[in-house]
Amino acid sequence: MRNDKSKKTATAWLLATALVVGLPQLASAETVLRIGMTAADIPRTLGQPDQGFEGNRFTGLTMYDALTLWDLSSAEKASVMIPGLATEWKVDDADKKKWTFKLRPGVKFHDGSPFNADAVVWNVEKVLKQDAPHFDASQVGVTASRMPTLASARKIDDMTVELTTKEPDSFLPINLTNLFMASPTKWQAFYDKAEGADAKAKSQAAWAAFARDASGTGPWKMSKFTPRERLELVKNEGYWDKARVPKVDRMVLLPMPEANARTAALLSGQVDWVEAPAPDAVKEIKQRGFQLQANESPHVWPWQFSRIEGSPWNDIRVRKAANLCIDREGLKEGLLAGLMVPATGTFEPGHPWRGKPTFQIKYDLKAAQKLMQEAGYGPSKKLTVKTQTSASGSGQMQPLPMNEYLQQALAECYFDVQLDVIEWNTLFTNWRRGAKDPTANGANATNVTYAAMDPFFALVRFLQSSMAPPVSNNWGFINNPKFDELVTKARQTFDPAARDAALAELHAASVDDAAFLYVAHDVSPRAMSPKVKGFVQPKSWFVDFSPVSMAP
Amino acid sequence: MLAYIARRIVYVIPIVLSVALVCFLLVHITPGDPLVAVLPADASQELAAQMRTAYGFDRPLPVQFGLWLWRAIHGDLGSSIATGRPVLTEVLRAVGNTVTLAVAAALIGFTLGLLFGLIAGYFRDTWIDKVATSVAIAGVSVPHYWLGMVMVIIFSVQLNWLPAVGAGPGGSGAWGWDWEHMKYLILPAITTSVIPMGIVTRTVRALTGDILSQDFVEALRAKGLRELDVFKHVIKNAAPTALAVMGLQLGYMLGGSILIETVFSWPGSGLLLNSAIFQRDLPLLQGTILVLALFFVALNLLVDIAQAAIDPRIKRG
Amino acid sequence: MTVMSDTALQAAPATKARGYWATVGRRIARDKVSMVCAFVLVLIFASALLAPWLGLADPYQGSMIRRLRHIGTPNYPLGTDELGRDMLARLIYGGRLSLIIGILPVILAFVIGTSLGLVAGYVGGRLNTAIMRTIDVFYAFPSVLLAIAISGALGAGIVNSIVSLTIVFVPQITRVAESVTTGVRNMDFVEAARASGAGPFTIMRVHMLGNVLGPIFVYATGLISVSMILAAGLSFLGLGTKPPEPEWGLMLNTLRTAIYVNPWVAALPGVMIFAVSICFNLLSDGMRSAMDIRN
Repeated sequence: MRNDKSKKTATAWLLATALVVGLPQLASAETVLRIGMTAADIPRTLGQPDQGFEGNRFTGLTMYDALTLWDLSSAEKASVMIPGLATEWKVDDADKKKWTFKLRPGVKFHDGSPFNADAVVWNVEKVLKQDAPHFDASQVGVTASRMPTLASARKIDDMTVELTTKEPDSFLPINLTNLFMASPTKWQAFYDKAEGADAKAKSQAAWAAFARDASGTGPWKMSKFTPRERLELVKNEGYWDKARVPKVDRMVLLPMPEANARTAALLSGQVDWVEAPAPDAVKEIKQRGFQLQANESPHVWPWQFSRIEGSPWNDIRVRKAANLCIDREGLKEGLLAGLMVPATGTFEPGHPWRGKPTFQIKYDLKAAQKLMQEAGYGPSKKLTVKTQTSASGSGQMQPLPMNEYLQQALAECYFDVQLDVIEWNTLFTNWRRGAKDPTANGANATNVTYAAMDPFFALVRFLQSSMAPPVSNNWGFINNPKFDELVTKARQTFDPAARDAALAELHAASVDDAAFLYVAHDVSPRAMSPKVKGFVQPKSWFVDFSPVSMAP
Repeated sequence: MLAYIARRIVYVIPIVLSVALVCFLLVHITPGDPLVAVLPADASQELAAQMRTAYGFDRPLPVQFGLWLWRAIHGDLGSSIATGRPVLTEVLRAVGNTVTLAVAAALIGFTLGLLFGLIAGYFRDTWIDKVATSVAIAGVSVPHYWLGMVMVIIFSVQLNWLPAVGAGPGGSGAWGWDWEHMKYLILPAITTSVIPMGIVTRTVRALTGDILSQDFVEALRAKGLRELDVFKHVIKNAAPTALAVMGLQLGYMLGGSILIETVFSWPGSGLLLNSAIFQRDLPLLQGTILVLALFFVALNLLVDIAQAAIDPRIKRG
Repeated sequence: MTVMSDTALQAAPATKARGYWATVGRRIARDKVSMVCAFVLVLIFASALLAPWLGLADPYQGSMIRRLRHIGTPNYPLGTDELGRDMLARLIYGGRLSLIIGILPVILAFVIGTSLGLVAGYVGGRLNTAIMRTIDVFYAFPSVLLAIAISGALGAGIVNSIVSLTIVFVPQITRVAESVTTGVRNMDFVEAARASGAGPFTIMRVHMLGNVLGPIFVYATGLISVSMILAAGLSFLGLGTKPPEPEWGLMLNTLRTAIYVNPWVAALPGVMIFAVSICFNLLSDGMRSAMDIRN
């Protein structure tokens, strides 16, 4: 007995000594944060990431800054646009197509070269000026479509740039969050060294080299890169915003497209953090002491109605009835393990663009049935509607179970819902071709989810009549003069507060018109090890990795 | 022998060209926009047209094929649309990882297969034979992707002994032959090895049994030949066929690893193929299929030559 | 597969004997393993065929409140899937599609491959060269790669997956058929038939088909196991059947998210694929040894 006890004491002493001796080493050891992403490949690293907003989250906003950024500091407030590499901007009073942007002084790229007006012009031209030596077609698609009106850039002085749009557009500063500033100096060095038959081949080689060894101004610097497997970023000690210098030394990003593989990697300690864990594993993840983070995202899971001639959704009573017929809380708890926010519009209360809709979207079966009866339907006279959806797809959450849930719920309100399940790519392509296209298979609604970060993508492209196919995503050919008028007003209101008010008015009008069947907002769930501290999940597609630290 | 090799190589050239044509056509009958990886669906039509021209997808198919083949002969398979990286580098790096996996699986599968096959062949119709045959038949009948899934459940999720996915703590770029890295290889290698194990067992068992039942073996034994010499005789006669089967199996492991690599996120050619298919990355897709098919053709050629070297009768056939 | 064809080839001369098939039948009936396998397969086929009359739950009707029940839950003997659909019903109904996409390609390839091989082997000469060299091109691809490349190109779907697997198996069966035909063509009894004035069509139909079909048939039954695994594999990758159809490979895919909650339910579709595949393999083995009169 005594022997045992003394042994234990001795062991305790040894341990304690080891700890004391070991501590300084622990403190100086590099801290590493390993993240499993949902992307199948590492998003492109050369400045304009692919893989949608997940790309911007991991290889855009980490290594690069844009002229304007998103406020990602709060979990409660809506995430709004804030100054980034530009400190202030204004539109020209005489010509509303011209904007001047004042640049942030003293900012340096990771290679040490200064950020200035030349760099901004260079970065605009990389995607907009086709005869520029560094023009890169592969970056155009993801960039130009997110800033549809930007036309050109001109240097005024070292710290001032003039940007010109094709038409007056008050959304420009918000669009500019998508244009990341890569280092012209670094690229030029690669270009000068590059071998190639002609300037175009050299330019391509320079971009390929830049992607392997990139340079931006962001809080993280590129360190090691194994294509398709692993990207390592290290903190940028000299980041211009001292408050946002990262707390961990190194961040490792791993593509893990398969939800189960991701979850297994987290549970077995291969990574510290996974995006979108397998929903069915949420319980187990929590039981094992891991943390689950989630917050409402600027995302809508809707049915987008066809409004072409003969569509049953042309009757506003039917549109409202469908919106009142869905028990969104039941969907949330029963199917999605709590991982959704019920949608009562594109934006929820608290958002600057929400407005004050009079039509309250909620679950009210009686009211829904009454509306349907007024419209001439009942238990013996069902209304047949056909909806196109896919079995999977980016942002689609769990499309089949969710649509089957809607099918059951809407049956209570005399709807006979037929689901037309097609391939994700086909569904997405048809989104652009519209309800009249043969590929729509005669569907009356389509189920493509959308991101609602920016007014054009959240509202304008669906509601404005001129956005009907093939121009943009007004799939159902909505033609409402009131929407058109409000869109024009918002676009041409340049005072930010007044612009937000106009957008709120547009949003309220769309909810009052029951323009969509609003079902859910995604919550961007992520699971992390208890060692991960200081993380804040904002109401955004993006997160700030800077305040995250790793407990030993 | 040299004449035989030359004949085989000449014979392979039209095959290689036809394979290239099949790869190209396969990929170009693909419905959907080839630029879907770099062109968001909300991009305007004019932007889409502009990019199709920039990538050369607006040219007639025969012209595209000619250009592609011409460059491919010069070792340039173009650049991936999604990543902008050269296809050849991507494919070769991935093939390297697949080779690692295939060699590990071949070591396990061929060793066990030869062992089980010889034992079963020697002790035909005894209980040992029955056990070995059952293992072999299970090996060729099991859906290996399902087996991989089950092994992940048991060894990674439940027991937490081995990592579930990936190729080492630092990715395949930092691969090393130590325990830290090897433990990532164990589950995928075992899963990959079950089919070759089964097939090699069955082949070797059949060969051994056949050889042993031949009259001249009885004669040799009657003449007082030692069992060891009989065994040598068996090996010598079974080797050409066994070798051919193992070569073919190695080829299948190199070219058909997509299911297992998907289950284990092993960064090999199969996973590359998977992402090329789902990203609709045409240059990468046709490049990967071409390289894998050429590997297979080359391996078959080597097996033919090796077989002929061991067994001169084949050359005449 | 090389082995199978070799053994099949060796079995060829056997088919000369009259009453041969009766002998083969008797020998299979005496083989316990083959009989058990046949019984299991008949059971699976019959239940898939008769599924609507078995009083099963609706395989498409899910319910969010009864998701992922364990095996042995009252009313759900094999539990429920990720959408709360009855697993027993889905496994049985799933047999319909799984067996079709697994077996139909082999049948189609058997018909096409045998025809091609017979013609190539009998006519010989340039036609043989043309057919066999084309076949060689497809032989230059590993079968899994070819199946996935074709399915990936054609896009997901039942028909596309059947087409791609058929294209994979045709070359293999053609080769076997061609080599068996060539072997048989040069045998004495064909010469005798020719000498007695029989036309080439009669010779091909009467003599060659009878003597050639056996070995090819055995080879093809061996392919069914491979085909089942590959077909389910295509669905597993998302290149075959589309949801919500019950099909074993696809079920395995969609249930993967459930392996943390309910691993045994998630493993069930794989068990079905395994069972069918191993039964076909054992049956094919049994047939082969029954046809091999040397034993």
